Amino acid sequence: MLFRRIVLCALLVGALAGLLVSAVQHWQAIPLIAAAEVFEGSADPAEPTLAATAHDHDHDHAGGDAHAHDAETWAPEDGGERHVWTAIANVLTAIGFGLVLVAAITTWEHLRGGPLASAGTGLVWGAAGWICVFGLPTLGLPPELPGSVAAPLGDRQGWWLLAATSGAAGLALLAFVRGPLRLAGIAVLLLPFAVGAPHLAGGPFAGYDIGIARQMEALAGSFAFATTIATAVQWLALGALSGLAVARWVRPALAELAPTP
Amino acid sequence: MQQQATLHIARPKSALLAIAMPVLTAALLGVVIVYGVGFSPIAAAHNAAHDARHVNVFPCH
Repeated sequence: MLFRRIVLCALLVGALAGLLVSAVQHWQAIPLIAAAEVFEGSADPAEPTLAATAHDHDHDHAGGDAHAHDAETWAPEDGGERHVWTAIANVLTAIGFGLVLVAAITTWEHLRGGPLASAGTGLVWGAAGWICVFGLPTLGLPPELPGSVAAPLGDRQGWWLLAATSGAAGLALLAFVRGPLRLAGIAVLLLPFAVGAPHLAGGPFAGYDIGIARQMEALAGSFAFATTIATAVQWLALGALSGLAVARWVRPALAELAPTP
Repeated sequence: MQQQATLHIARPKSALLAIAMPVLTAALLGVVIVYGVGFSPIAAAHNAAHDARHVNVFPCH
């Protein structure tokens, strides 16, 4: 019963937030990706200058350009089909985050034993989610445009996961623990930065002509701004809707499950 | 006043156990979905979610 309510709420919340953020991205972040893809691949002749990391880079590049060059693998057609898949992927991502948020808000309300979930408190949960999933990982790994070169994918994914999970653990310690142990939350928050994010020497646009590199840098700046706005919209919408959904549809199931004495 | 009182009722330890299964399963399902869309190395998944990975600032390529 409770599981079904949580899943249904997350599906609804995720569909709404995912479609909303797809619309926002459609006019700000997606055009920047299209603009960067014009330059993607034009750095090939200069690749040998990255000899120190040649192996990783080659590997990375082959994987990255798969959507453009690998005839074997399916990829959506540019235009409508690609936009539809982006929206589907956004909705799925939002449903995934929504499941975690709704479950967390439900646990919080249940353990505190009062009607705490609401759109307002949900905004605070959403802001915390944004810090964990966008804020902290982005401090170490800035938003990437297609065509930028970076450390091997596995290293970056590992560091991203470390930043997001230690962000969640650190914020939870700071918010819910009383006493001196709470301050350990700060150490947990800083742990990924002590480890250090993986980076290549030479920056993301090494290997491009200087003129193109300048343009890519300008695009990357706009892209960082655009993704900050879009992810903030997504997480605040996710949070507010999750809070509302818990208050409306999960709370009755909680009351049934363990009636307050 | 009554509202205030209910706010401060500390539930017994068993309260967490009562909801642990559904809550953990839901959160785990969410993590698996996010991993599948944002991190999966399967080429078709990467291609379908390519732009979404970039705009959600997951590591890509």
